[in-house]
Amino acid sequence: MDLFEAIFWFLTAMAIGSALGVILSRNPINSVLFLIATFFAISGHYILMNAQFLAIVNIIVYAGAIMVLFLFVIMLMNLNADVEPQKSRLVQFAGIISGGILFLLILAALRDMKAAGVIEKTATDIGLMKNLGKTLFQNYVFPFEISSVLFLSAMIGAMVIGKKETLVIDKN
Amino acid sequence: MKAIIAATIIGVIMMFASILSNNKSGIVSLATVLFFFLFGINIWEVYESINATGVAAPAYLNNMMSLDSFAIWFSMLMSGCALLYILLLGKEIAKVGKHVGEYFALIAFIMVGIYLLAGYSNMLMLFIGIEILSIPQYILAGSDKRNLKSTEASLKYFLMGSFSTGILLMGIAMLYGATGSFDIINFRMLQTDALNPLALSGILFLIIGLGFKVSAAPMHMWTPDVYDGSPTPFTAFMSTIVKAGVFVAFLRLFHASFGNLTNHWMMIVAVITATTLFIGNITAVFQQSVKRMLAYSSIAQAGFMLFAILSVNATAWQGIVIYAVAYSVATIGMFAVLIKLKDYTYDGFNGLAKKEPALAFFTTIFLMSLAGIPLTGGFMAKYFVLLAAVQQGQVMWLVIFALIMAAVSVYYYFKVIIAMYFKTGEAELNHEVTGYDKLMLGITCLLVILIGLMPQLLLNL
Amino acid sequence: MNQLLEISFSSLASSIHSWLSSAIANATILNVVEMAIAGVCLLVFLVPLCFVLGYMERKVAAFMQLRLGPNRVGPKGTLQIVADTVKLIFKEGLTPNASDKFLFNLAPIIVVVVSMLVMAPIAFAKNFQLWDLNIGVLYVTSISSIAVIGILMAGWSSYNKYSLLGAMRSGAQIVSYELSVGLSIISIVIMTGSLKISDIVMSQADGWWIFKGHLPIFISFVIFVIASTAEINRAPFDLSEAEQELTGGFHTEYSGMKFAMFLLAEYINLFVVSAMAATLFLGGWMPFHIGHWEAFNHIMDFIPSSLWFLGKTFAIIFIIMQFRWTFPRLRVDQLLNLEWKYLLPISMVNIILVTIMAIMGWYL
Repeated sequence: MDLFEAIFWFLTAMAIGSALGVILSRNPINSVLFLIATFFAISGHYILMNAQFLAIVNIIVYAGAIMVLFLFVIMLMNLNADVEPQKSRLVQFAGIISGGILFLLILAALRDMKAAGVIEKTATDIGLMKNLGKTLFQNYVFPFEISSVLFLSAMIGAMVIGKKETLVIDKN
Repeated sequence: MKAIIAATIIGVIMMFASILSNNKSGIVSLATVLFFFLFGINIWEVYESINATGVAAPAYLNNMMSLDSFAIWFSMLMSGCALLYILLLGKEIAKVGKHVGEYFALIAFIMVGIYLLAGYSNMLMLFIGIEILSIPQYILAGSDKRNLKSTEASLKYFLMGSFSTGILLMGIAMLYGATGSFDIINFRMLQTDALNPLALSGILFLIIGLGFKVSAAPMHMWTPDVYDGSPTPFTAFMSTIVKAGVFVAFLRLFHASFGNLTNHWMMIVAVITATTLFIGNITAVFQQSVKRMLAYSSIAQAGFMLFAILSVNATAWQGIVIYAVAYSVATIGMFAVLIKLKDYTYDGFNGLAKKEPALAFFTTIFLMSLAGIPLTGGFMAKYFVLLAAVQQGQVMWLVIFALIMAAVSVYYYFKVIIAMYFKTGEAELNHEVTGYDKLMLGITCLLVILIGLMPQLLLNL
Repeated sequence: MNQLLEISFSSLASSIHSWLSSAIANATILNVVEMAIAGVCLLVFLVPLCFVLGYMERKVAAFMQLRLGPNRVGPKGTLQIVADTVKLIFKEGLTPNASDKFLFNLAPIIVVVVSMLVMAPIAFAKNFQLWDLNIGVLYVTSISSIAVIGILMAGWSSYNKYSLLGAMRSGAQIVSYELSVGLSIISIVIMTGSLKISDIVMSQADGWWIFKGHLPIFISFVIFVIASTAEINRAPFDLSEAEQELTGGFHTEYSGMKFAMFLLAEYINLFVVSAMAATLFLGGWMPFHIGHWEAFNHIMDFIPSSLWFLGKTFAIIFIIMQFRWTFPRLRVDQLLNLEWKYLLPISMVNIILVTIMAIMGWYL
């Protein structure tokens, strides 16, 4: 087991462990912090695959910006472990059964799957910024550009929802 | 492509219009003109596609979109419906809140999403289209900020909608794992003999994700609350044009990609269809509010549209087009009437025929179309989707079940008609019904009847 | 030409590397050992750095206010900061009873570790860099944006309203000023066409960007300095620890060594942003050259590259320290208005100008 593999397993354990922490911890703040740890582990995986740009963008966008806003909201609303609503036993039981069935289904599907068409790659240059930029602006230019509509509408939404609405006197 | 660009630009223009002007009715007129313009561009595109068949898609699209004649034709019809919607309800949109220009901008962006969904050929575009469609809807649902129910609707829709988008993404990821491609054409290579279990679970996830967006049972839980809580003009838009757009995306994926895998997913969709029909129709019977009844009826109508997905043949494509248009036109008309009334319960309609005979007459036509009475668009729509299922031949039991459910639906639609004509009371109107309103409602009625008489007009494929 | 004089950091590093590779056969162990050495070197560099900065801060403050500043401990008060450190180490580290103990203790560590991580791609001298990754500047912006999580953690876990308010303010501030920092960095990236620190430094061999780039780059330099001052929560943007309003801000409840760690992180951050400004706009370790004045350029080359780098960095640190005693503290709304209504639009227009300049080749 060389250094690469050791780091890989460490990151994998960290990603799965923190992901479990997100859903298992009672305190919302802890969940968010676990989520940040998960993003870091995933960024580490990107770096192992030589996709440095993706790794860094993952950190900037998710860990640096979105999660900070999450923390903000949770802290402002002062959500604590005791605020979390307690689900009734029946609902919990139903959740466990249906989740378990889904888990079994996916497990059965993955048990004898073969990764068709996907070649396992470790370190290529595809994740470097130059190649990524070329792919993005040549093959995927249309989805790239059209997603600006998505962001624009989300921004309008933030404005429409966020702005204080006082009663207005219609001019007409 | 031109329509996508035009709709985006219209959205941006509407955004700036609201900065530059406070005049609400001016913004509404501008939006009307711009949507006329959008419809014109769509017609231009249809004209071009008729003249220039066999021309390859532009290279910059890179197989992201296949803007075939169906996609362009469907986009044109949806733009027409959106135009009708703005003409009928434009003034009501202006009354919802302060940010009128933004509402129209969001509607224009939703149109972009519909065009994308009508002609996508890559899962990336499906995802982006669904998102462009959904996010403005979350906002429109919560646009009446002084109303707590509207806020609740928005939040509920947002939380559940993002969850279902997550499931959709999971399905796309699984299909990518199975095929190594996002191109829906490549999914055809999934042959039945050596089927990858990963692909099967991917298809299952996609059914759930898309089923949520079209409010198919048992993924329908959000629908009544969201449609009931949202401001009525936006409910009219969300439950009609948007839903039709998602249905076409659903149809395109399952016919183009998974058409030869029917024995794997047919049963699941059939059960979903049966559940949707049952829950939609039976629950609608017990509603007190007409708005909530329409929400459940939209679930029931989704059940009929699911027949088009079940039956993998050419008739299904015709059926979905007719259904989308007939249902949209009638429902938009119905909402345009509903919004005039002060009281949304059945009792609110009491004696409407005496007070506003024209309004009552139009309502009757719309409701008959929704119920599927012959000579109206709704009948032709139901006829075509059920015909497709009969031609397909595997789900006869479901067709019979659907016919029973259609009979049930007549009960709750006719309850409104009975209230209007045979019950005494003072139907209170929110505001005066102007000549313009009557003219527009009359045109809508004519469209409903026209579709019923000559459905082939919509099938100029 | 000056082969004999070449006792530079880079030759030192390469000779250590060749010696280690001959001594240790296993590549993995070699890697680990070298990483450990680099880490220790960084720590050894950082502690005196913070002493220097702490001393400098007091002396600059005294200078600005016509005072003498520390002058008792050691010659000219140079050992004052050592005395302070000793005091902080021996103080009791209190943990409030109602606090979230784990997060409370984790927060200062995160803040310090993050600020140290940012040091990795900085080029201290010619060919002397810990990690020259090809997205260097992006790495710096992304990692430094993590510090806010540590601050929010500290503020929240203290269970104190002043701490929480301070943390909230600092979170809003850092997240918004990050945009301007990023945009002014992008203007340099557009000019050089690379995110690699070594490429950016090399592109300034014939003149630093602040001279070559005309007005638009100068504007981004100014914006960078303002916005990064705000990003590291220094006065006049130190709302998160405004004493008059919030006692001590997010570190109200901290004492002893844990408090010292916040101080340490603040100084490291100050150094890092100044080093970034020096690298991006003032040529990093690149000596000052003027066109074809060969003789002048050679003389400049004799000054070691590490001195150039540290000189530029400390010049900018000096400017930022002067800000503290020159401008009054902003209000929260003024702070956010400054970013969203002035700096951000200006940076965006500036980016367009820079792009036009880069496409047309209107620079040396």
